[in-house]
Formats: sequence, C-alpha cells, structure tokens
Amino acid sequence: MKRSILAFALGALARRKARSFALGGGLVFAVALVSAVVFLTEALRREADRAEDVQPDIVVQKLVGGRPTTIAKGDRERLTDIPSVRSVTARAWGYVFLPSLQGNVTVVGTTDSVHALSTASATLDEGRDLIAGRHEMIVGSALAEFFGMRPGDRLNLPSLDVDAPALTLVGTFRSALDLWTADVLMCDEADARALLGLPEGEATDLAVTLANPQEAKVVAAEIAARIPGSRVVERDLLARVHRLAYGRRAGLVLGATLPALLALLVLAWDRASGVGPEEKKEIAVLKAVGWSTSDVLWAKLLESLLVGAAATALGLALAYAWVFWLGAPGLRAALVGWSSLYPRSALTPAVDLAQLLGISLAVLGPFALLSVVPAWRAATTDPVDSMRG
Amino acid sequence: MTNGASQRELRVVARETKRARVAALLLVSPLVVVAGLGIDAARRQRAAAASDPAVRTIATRLASPDLALSGGSRWLRSLSLEEPWAAFSDGPAFPDPDPAGAAVAPPVEVWTVPARRSSKTSLSVDRDLVPEKREKGAP
Repeated sequence: MKRSILAFALGALARRKARSFALGGGLVFAVALVSAVVFLTEALRREADRAEDVQPDIVVQKLVGGRPTTIAKGDRERLTDIPSVRSVTARAWGYVFLPSLQGNVTVVGTTDSVHALSTASATLDEGRDLIAGRHEMIVGSALAEFFGMRPGDRLNLPSLDVDAPALTLVGTFRSALDLWTADVLMCDEADARALLGLPEGEATDLAVTLANPQEAKVVAAEIAARIPGSRVVERDLLARVHRLAYGRRAGLVLGATLPALLALLVLAWDRASGVGPEEKKEIAVLKAVGWSTSDVLWAKLLESLLVGAAATALGLALAYAWVFWLGAPGLRAALVGWSSLYPRSALTPAVDLAQLLGISLAVLGPFALLSVVPAWRAATTDPVDSMRG
Repeated sequence: MTNGASQRELRVVARETKRARVAALLLVSPLVVVAGLGIDAARRQRAAAASDPAVRTIATRLASPDLALSGGSRWLRSLSLEEPWAAFSDGPAFPDPDPAGAAVAPPVEVWTVPARRSSKTSLSVDRDLVPEKREKGAP
C-alpha cells in the first residue's frame, strides 16, 4: 500500500504540473540563495583562518584623537622586558593609492630572511626572494598583470618622498595565494619607508610574539599600561573580527534578499491555507474507494516531501556550483567588496555535513508540516459532502 | 478477455512500481546531493591543504591575515587591524575615497577624479608598457 501511496503522490504532482513547478521553483530559488550565502561566508572565514595562527600574538598600534597613527620605534624597548614577551618587531607597512589603478596597493616592508620565498616553496610563480638594499620588490600576480610587468622591470610608484627609489621586480607571488597577495607589493623595510613616507624613528605598528600565547590577555593589559594611547590587538580579536565582518555582510545580503524569501512564504501560505476544490474531490474519491484518513494524509505528506526534497537537492547543488565552480558571479562582489585588483583564485568549500543537512531540514520540515493540516481537514470531511462541493 | 484484463493490471502495477521508484529517488535526493557535495568539498579541502605551508610562509611576512578582497585602504582591507568602529571615512559626510564595502559599486569618477587631481607624483615603468598590456589583455 505504501508503494501505491508513493506512486499516487508522484502521479498527483504530475497532474498538477504548473503548481508543482511554481512551488518547487520558488523553493529551489530560496534554497540556492541562502545556501550560496552560507557557502561563500564560511569559505571566506576558513580562508582567513588559514593564515591566522602564524600571525603575531599581539599587535600594538598608536591612536591619536581616536585614529590610528604611527608608533615610535623606541616604544619597542618598553615592551621587551615584559615577562613572556619573546620578540617585538617594529613593522613598516601601509597603502599607496595608484590613480592609474584606481585603487590601493598594500606596501609591506619585510626584514624576514628566515622564511624564504621561492618557486620551490610554492610561494612565488616566478623569480626569487628579495635581497635587502637592492631596491627590489615582489608583487601579487594580479598587480604584475595589471602593469604588464615581468621580473627585471622597474617601477616608480607615487610617494611622498621624492627620493623614493624605483623598484625592480624580482618575483611575483603565486596566483593560488591571490587571496592574500593580490594587492601586495613587498620590498625591504627601507624602500617601504620611502614609499610610505614613514620616518626612520616611526613604525606602522609593533608585532609582539609571546613565549606563551595563553598569557596574551595579561601581557596586553601590561602593554596598554606601558604605552598610553595604544590600541592593543590580540590574535583572538582578529579571529572574532573576521567572523563578525563576514557574518555581518552575509546578514546584509540575506536582508537584501528578504523580498524573494517573502515571496516564498506567500507560496507556502497558499499551501497552508487549504486544499483546492479539485484536491478535495480527489480526497473524497480516495476515501470513497476505501482509503483511510491515514493513507490520505500520507499521500499529501509525500506530495509535499517530494516537491521539497527535489527542490532542496537542486537548490543545494545549484548553490554549490554557483559559488565553487563558477566563483559566485553576482554574489561575490556583494559579500566581499570589489576592487580593481580582485583575487581570482577559487575558494575552498568549508561547509560540513551538519550545515548541509541543517539547510535541508530547515526547508523540508516546515514545508511538510504546512501541508499536513489542510490535508487532515479535507480528509476528515465526509466524502459525500466534499463531492457535492 | 481475462487475459486482457490481467495484462492491463500488470501494466498498471508496472507503472506504479516505476513511479514509486522515481518518487523514492526524489525523496532521498537531498541525501545523495549532500553526500556528493561533501565528497567534493573534502577533495577540494585536501587539495587546498597542500598550499598551507605556502600560505603560512607568506602570512609571516604580511601585516595581517586579512584577505585581499577589496582595495580599500580602510578596515575592509585590513579589517582586523584598522578602525572597525569608524562610522565615517574621515569625517561625517566625507566621501569615502575607496568605498570597497558597498554592495553596489558607485560611479568610478566619484573618487578617481579627485584622487588624480591631488596626485602630484608619477607612476612609470621603465619600459613601453602599452604593447605588453595589449598582449596580456590587461585593462
């Protein structure tokens, strides 16, 4: 009997093709939209998390009038004797606006010679690491492509310092690292200072590494006491900011799609508000030929489940393809901003089974429940009354 | 006549069986899709994990782990280190010079014209870029 009910449910949907497609189409759209936003947000969070654990435990910035400004390099000495502080590095980095690019380039001065960049370490597409003092630079592949540059080419960048040297390109970052390096121009510290107009005694911020990261909160409080007017950013805070930022943007996008979701609710309301006269007659006939109320309810429940399940499956598949195969055209810009140097590398899915099942159940559950009540009302009505209309 | 009736019955049963199979397939389709997507996601995660050492090497040299998703000089580019609480760009009603966070991009001229006007320095590459850019299809 159950097999007959299942077959009957599919047959009933086929008889009401237009209604089934309208309802299923609305569901597919809603599931695809919500899923795509979730997929993209989680993928971005995951990418941001990948680089997080190698960052300094604490970053110290200086605020003047509530706005970030440069910090004196001498402040480093005030922190080195704090127990648990392993190292304090004065960093030189910032932004240079390029009118021809209509965007900013992130200039990073580096003194790191421990973590060498090379094609062998899969960090560079071509070229080699910087050699300090030679006025060299490594840029993101998107930036190199924009300028049409290859290793060996020299570039003059706009700078406050008229004596800022032209930099020779010695390498480009691997395009797979575009998410971090698309707009990065890496050079040695002296060149970064010249480009950014950063005086010798100043630094953009101080990066503090701790022997025991668990003590970050205590050390942060001590730093704030030792450098009045400083903003002390712990690594935990970075993770929280990422989650909040991408979550907020996802919320905004979902908010903007509310009209579409409301349209779906209207469809669902149509489903909940009662079965049509034709369906009532159909139910009456079924009861007249011996179907029990339970059988009728099962048939109606299965009808809803069939539409809901197929729409959920299709919606999830479309959302996944949209985000991870096609790169989320139309949605990516709304969620992550836009730029003339946009990273093109593909995002890695970060959704887990629980999320996928959660989305499926969130759609299927209410949708199935909405269909049972009116079907139960119709099924408990006297068949003769139903057929008379 | 009896044979004809039983053949019709058989056809009805066969049709019902076929419909029931299709319906059962539709019912389990979300599970099939979820499993398929899970497998594809796991494969992509494994492939991405291969580049983890490179990401970590690069990240040690960068100022923050923030993603280069927009060209904004403000908190949208290095949102963890800059001023996430800022209500305005530089002051109330000031135009944001690089409003990378907008869902819909404003006209480019809104901020490029003033930026060009104020830029007193030059940008040059020691090479004729034009043919190169044409060749590479750069904007």
